[in-house]
Amino acid sequence: MSGASTAAYLARRAAQKERVRILYRRALKDTLNWAVHRHLFYQDASDLREKFEAHKHVEDLDTIDKMIAEGEATYNKWRHPDPYIVPWAPGGSKFTRNPVPPSGIEIVYDYGRENND
Amino acid sequence: MALRAAVLRHIQVPVQTLTATGSKPLPRWSLGASLRLFSSHDDHLTKEEVIDRVLDVVKSFPKVDPSKVTPDVHFQKDLGLDSLDNVEIVMALEEEFKLEIPDKEADNIDSCNLAIEYIYNHPMAG
Repeated sequence: MSGASTAAYLARRAAQKERVRILYRRALKDTLNWAVHRHLFYQDASDLREKFEAHKHVEDLDTIDKMIAEGEATYNKWRHPDPYIVPWAPGGSKFTRNPVPPSGIEIVYDYGRENND
Repeated sequence: MALRAAVLRHIQVPVQTLTATGSKPLPRWSLGASLRLFSSHDDHLTKEEVIDRVLDVVKSFPKVDPSKVTPDVHFQKDLGLDSLDNVEIVMALEEEFKLEIPDKEADNIDSCNLAIEYIYNHPMAG
């Protein structure tokens, strides 16, 4: 158990913290996907926060890694099949709906006017 | 011409009731920042609007003391929040501005400054 604050230890802790933050973010979005009504979402979000806070003080790196892996497995199990994605983002409904036309194309608005008119 | 002048005079003032001539109701334009522009590329947010909305979102967070919130406050250092609270604030900002922020960049948003910069420079901020 490396209790000394070596650079490797700190780097590993920082990586774990980042994984935890990203996991919390995804889990929160998933909670919003499942519980669309706001009052239900608030309830579920506080429950999720409680679960994260309960293990906040754990210091052992391997235990933390195991818990993160368990959390990610639970998240993968509970992922919503039809998540809400912002319309213009990839996967949303407006994605590439009106792409910018390639440059060099010029539209001539002559409305079918003949040369004799 | 006189009718046109009368119509224009009515447009420039917020109209509370229909005009006496019974013309079709004119659109009510409130004087101020919420002017509707009808082109699809003019609706980039102004910096003041971004700052106002970001500060409103941060102030309405239950764990935050509203009097301490300024445009360059750091979430964890100045407001005393947790890293998970940081994640929650970023999610609230995503919902407010209808953005989709990638996970890596959302992790980097640590202070009001960065949030305002990111949202202002995002092309699809709503």
